[in-house]
Amino acid sequence: MNSLIFPETLNAYVGLSAVLFAIGFLGVLVRRNTLVIYMCLELMLVASTLAFVAFSRFNGTMDGNVFVFFILTVAAAEVAVGLAIIVALFRLRQTVQVDRLDALKH
Amino acid sequence: MIPSHLAFLLLSLPLATAGLIAVCLRRQGAVAAALSVATAVGILAGAAWLALGDFRFEASREWLSIAGLRVSFGFNFNDLAALMLAIVAVVGLCVHVFSLGYMRDDPARARYFAGLSIFMFSMIGVVLADNLFMMFIFWELVGFSSWLLINHWFERPAPAAASKKAFIVNRVGDFGFLLGIIMCYHSNGTVNLSDLAVQASAGTAVYSRAIPLLLFCGAIGKSAQVPLHVWLPDAMEGPTPVSALIHAATMVAAGIYMLCRVEMLMVHEALLVIAAVGTATALYAAFCAVVQRDIKRVLAYSTLSQLGYMVAAFGLGSIGGVDENGRALVIGAGVGAAMFHLTTHAAFKALLFLCSGSVIYGCHHEQDIFKMGGLAGRMKLTFVVFTIGVAAIIGMPFFAGFFSKDAILALAFTRNKAVFAALAFTAVLTALYMVRLWRLVFFGAPRSEAASHAHEGGFTLAAPLVVLAVFSVFGGYLSLYPHAFHGVLGNVPEAAGAAHAIVFATSLSVLILGAGAAIAFYKPAATDALEQGMPAVFAGLVALQESFDAFYTWYVDKVQQRLAMVLNFIDVVGIAGLVVRGTAGVAGLAGLGARALHTGRISTYVYWFLAGVAVLWLFATGVL
Repeated sequence: MNSLIFPETLNAYVGLSAVLFAIGFLGVLVRRNTLVIYMCLELMLVASTLAFVAFSRFNGTMDGNVFVFFILTVAAAEVAVGLAIIVALFRLRQTVQVDRLDALKH
Repeated sequence: MIPSHLAFLLLSLPLATAGLIAVCLRRQGAVAAALSVATAVGILAGAAWLALGDFRFEASREWLSIAGLRVSFGFNFNDLAALMLAIVAVVGLCVHVFSLGYMRDDPARARYFAGLSIFMFSMIGVVLADNLFMMFIFWELVGFSSWLLINHWFERPAPAAASKKAFIVNRVGDFGFLLGIIMCYHSNGTVNLSDLAVQASAGTAVYSRAIPLLLFCGAIGKSAQVPLHVWLPDAMEGPTPVSALIHAATMVAAGIYMLCRVEMLMVHEALLVIAAVGTATALYAAFCAVVQRDIKRVLAYSTLSQLGYMVAAFGLGSIGGVDENGRALVIGAGVGAAMFHLTTHAAFKALLFLCSGSVIYGCHHEQDIFKMGGLAGRMKLTFVVFTIGVAAIIGMPFFAGFFSKDAILALAFTRNKAVFAALAFTAVLTALYMVRLWRLVFFGAPRSEAASHAHEGGFTLAAPLVVLAVFSVFGGYLSLYPHAFHGVLGNVPEAAGAAHAIVFATSLSVLILGAGAAIAFYKPAATDALEQGMPAVFAGLVALQESFDAFYTWYVDKVQQRLAMVLNFIDVVGIAGLVVRGTAGVAGLAGLGARALHTGRISTYVYWFLAGVAVLWLFATGVL
């Protein structure tokens, strides 16, 4: 019965990954809070991680699993730097709403 | 000293003087005047040495060479140039000395003398030039000097307008002149005068009717022939010594000198046209001179008339004379007659103008002859020399003008009887208006306050008058001229036999007729006897005089001004508006558009990022 509702094929997992990526991308486009945009960026990274693991599982290799560690490391470093920038920006502008951060407007 | 170097020194000395005055001596009028007079003395010395020392040379240096066009700078010093240089030097010195006295109270004396020096530089350049391009450059410089000097009292509107008119009308003639030079260069491959002479005698020159007629356009402008004569009467707004030097003796004679220089290019039809224009000018100007009130205007129209004589003499030189190839014969007689009259005219016309300057100075700048009178007793020297000048111009026997006019009438009698009749009638009018002037200025009772207190102007005003009077008396005797000028004056025509008697009789009779009519008709009075006695004739003559100016004014106002407005519209709206500002506007709009992309909002940039990714994807999959 599980296999009827959740087909255990590669396409399903890759499809899920694509959907998660699209949601993350849309979030980056649309959301106004910088922290939420950041969360959506993380969602995109996680979606690509899921795709890697699915390929690794269905091809029987360890390469995808190993790559997950790399992705997580990069994500962590990126978050550290990015949050530092956001904090500095908040201190300067007293806001993290993206539509109010338009000092570079002509 | 090498003659060509002396010639170069003669040319550059007045230029250096003018430059020095312009740079350092603007306020020091006396020093500038002395320097300018010294230069004039130097020029006379140099000219005398060159002319009388029998130096005849040509020297040339290439100045400009652009893709086949060669313009050189050089001197061609033959008998003709020697004669003209001598005239310019002598009359120039007389005018310089006269100006010392006449302009002694003028605050802008330095500028005046600088202008005189620039004029001497330009005129010597015209005289010595060995090719037509160089002559044209100095021709324009002479026009500029004329503008500068007419414009001496530029604070008043009349001299400013007169100088502009002189320059613009001259420019119209110079346009034809330049076209002629270009055509000559194109047809003959050279504009060098001696090369053209060589080509002409070898028979290889190209003869067309256009070239001499176009070159004559320059003479029409510069020597004030009809229809471009309108600037000369107005040019009397300049100081009187300027009128004497430039507009009587030298600059206006430059046109005739140029014709004599290019006589090898003449053809029969061109000479007919030249003679016709000259005769028409002589007659027209004589009619206009009869009704003038201003002493200088009478002399100006008289100058126009005499210039017409000279041009007609040149044109007559070869009418009817054709050699076996059908080409007009070398017109030595025309050149001789024209240059002889030019020489005597320079003497007596400069004398008359300087006398009028003396009269104007003595009457405290009164120029209306109907407000003068009784000056014979008050200004004795001026009266005597003025009488000599009048005698010379009307052709009294034994004076200079008699011989030169006789030569022209003799030439006309043998070549073209119609021109002879016209010139003889003009001589009647000449005697009429000159004796009228003489009577009204010097005789009767003084008719104004200024005239009753008239006085002579001093030595510097008197000495040049005496010198020029001597030339006016003895200038007609060809045997007194140095042999150096034989190349020109040896060709002066003389009638022979029965023709001689007829011409002599005609000269005497026109003189007696004109002078007698003037003496009988014009009593010294405060009003013009012609205006009182024959008002219709007077009005007709005045209308004749003003006709050309009226036509030109109409043309400028109605035709040229409208064309100028159209062009102005095209310039302002089309070129400046659409093309220039339009291009700037388009660039500005593009900038505005590009600026609108920078919203400063991160979401916008992310959308652009998405668009960029989409384009890249389309490229990658091969759709684009």
